[in-house]
Amino acid sequence: MSTFRADLHIHSCLSPCGELSASPRAIARSARERGLHLIALTDHNSARNAPAFAAACRSEGLAAVFGIEITTREEVHALTLFPTVKTALEAGDEAYERLESEPFDPGFFGDQVWVDENEEIEGMLDKLCILCATDLSLDDLGPWCRSRGGILIPAHIDRPAFGVLGQLGFLPEGPFEAVECTEPLSEDLTDPWPVIASSDAHRPEDIGCRCLEFEAPEADFEALVMALESGKTRALYGNK
Amino acid sequence: MTIKELQTDMNCRAVWNGWEDREVTGAYTSDLLSDVMARSEEGQVLITIQAHKNTVAVAVLKDLSGIITASNRPVPDDMIETARDEEIPVFVTDNNQYETGWRLHELGGF
Repeated sequence: MSTFRADLHIHSCLSPCGELSASPRAIARSARERGLHLIALTDHNSARNAPAFAAACRSEGLAAVFGIEITTREEVHALTLFPTVKTALEAGDEAYERLESEPFDPGFFGDQVWVDENEEIEGMLDKLCILCATDLSLDDLGPWCRSRGGILIPAHIDRPAFGVLGQLGFLPEGPFEAVECTEPLSEDLTDPWPVIASSDAHRPEDIGCRCLEFEAPEADFEALVMALESGKTRALYGNK
Repeated sequence: MTIKELQTDMNCRAVWNGWEDREVTGAYTSDLLSDVMARSEEGQVLITIQAHKNTVAVAVLKDLSGIITASNRPVPDDMIETARDEEIPVFVTDNNQYETGWRLHELGGF
């Protein structure tokens, strides 16, 4: 058994609020420099940067998890994490399809671009991936995610905007594989789920500012899920 | 009705000053920003309790004439900052959303 560090909530240049400098390559480099072993890319309602992220993590020697931060119809942000690029891409494209949004002027947030492994822009999303919601409910998301081999983690549940506690006033029954908090929260609010901390970084320099420590034989998706199930994880809130 | 008239007639407090006056064409009430994104119309004033900077982003993208945060919801500093940068008038009222909409209907005729 070894102890690994993971950051399971990171945005790239595909997120409208993510900086253009947040390319998958810059993210992987920053994560390695900050001593992380496993990282997840979780852009809003799309996973189009997953292939470039896989290549970037491979060249930095990091384990990669492929995710999407989905906006549910209750306007709750939830992390869905998948073991392969293919499943994440399929899930991400469906989430994007189910997003109620008009084309928008990217001026306010900036472009939502995805890149290839050489950081060349491959395409641009024209629906607004934040502020708009999919038609999936938080209750729908568990089965939706698990039928694809993924796990579900409601994001920043303690934040007033887009956190489940702020949106609904309570934590629904779940099940969830974990809940994400931005600071230590009373167990009354998070029970019975494991708590994770992650950076929600929109700039490469913020990666790892919060992270998750887990004990496992190796750093990969399966081992992470096992560690969450068996209570071998610890949320670290100040990892600056 | 203009934004300036709305402020006076509705007796609500501006969280920043110096905005340009403009016509208010109607009102929209919702606390789901995705709903505001999908259904509000240009020139409307938004009545909401979602007092955070994302609400300002929605107002910019939908070209809303202003935001009224109801029920005396505290407006965080970063929301005020964003509103000033984007020149979106933001008001606070003690009234709740129903009362605010009802009064706007009485005063503005919409």
